[in-house]
Amino acid sequence: MEAERPLAGLHCGEVLADLTEHLDARLGPERSARIGEHLDGCERCRSLREEIAAAVCALRELPEEPLPPEVAERLWAGLEEALG
Amino acid sequence: MVEADDARISDETLIGRTAAGDAAAFGRLVRRYQAAVYRFARAAVPTAGDSEEILLETFRAARRSARRHRDEPSALPWLLALAHQAIERRRTDGREGDLASLRELARTAGWGEPARLADAALGTETVGSALAALSPEDREILTLCDREYFTIDEAAQVTGDSEAVARARLHRARLRLTARLREGLHGS
Repeated sequence: MEAERPLAGLHCGEVLADLTEHLDARLGPERSARIGEHLDGCERCRSLREEIAAAVCALRELPEEPLPPEVAERLWAGLEEALG
Repeated sequence: MVEADDARISDETLIGRTAAGDAAAFGRLVRRYQAAVYRFARAAVPTAGDSEEILLETFRAARRSARRHRDEPSALPWLLALAHQAIERRRTDGREGDLASLRELARTAGWGEPARLADAALGTETVGSALAALSPEDREILTLCDREYFTIDEAAQVTGDSEAVARARLHRARLRLTARLREGLHGS
């Protein structure tokens, strides 16, 4: 793996700090483009971004757990007064 | 008279009616969000019993405070903020500062090593176990942003953090989740 060096005017540490923001498209266009340029030339930052993206994707694909019916029953019993 | 379908009634309308004492509107609000509030509580506290208590406390508090929130366009951030307050009241140890260096976290998440997760089959059990192994604080921010799709400012509104702190929490939590998933692959 290559040693850290500035690419697109950014060191890896700076890119590292902004990876989540880049992934979520929350950066301004100029910053985003510079980070994109850095990622194009830096395998280790690009690879970490891919890892985080895969982890987020896997998390988002977890099925939603429904509320257990017995929990719902107890909730509604507990709210009986408020529910009239 | 037949009431319009639940989905057609906005949260704002339901909160306004709840504030005016309409028990049926409050019931609709509970039905609409009970599962989401429970999932959030399950992610942030250790036992199902505690989650259930938080669920009940949240909706009782919502009923009491609806009048002050009748202009909320969406009920979920408000409800999860109430749930967060109930969770915080249970935390006796306080939230520990996150002192791990970002570089160290990144290394555990595979920085400097070949990617492994992108081509891996990450099953529900693997991902669920990795999530369960994280701290309640990490699970909380991941649930808000990556399960409920809250924006950073909505998540910050729920947790009472500044947006900058919420952004940093999310980034660190994602790095720790990535590390756990890589460990899970290594161990399997």
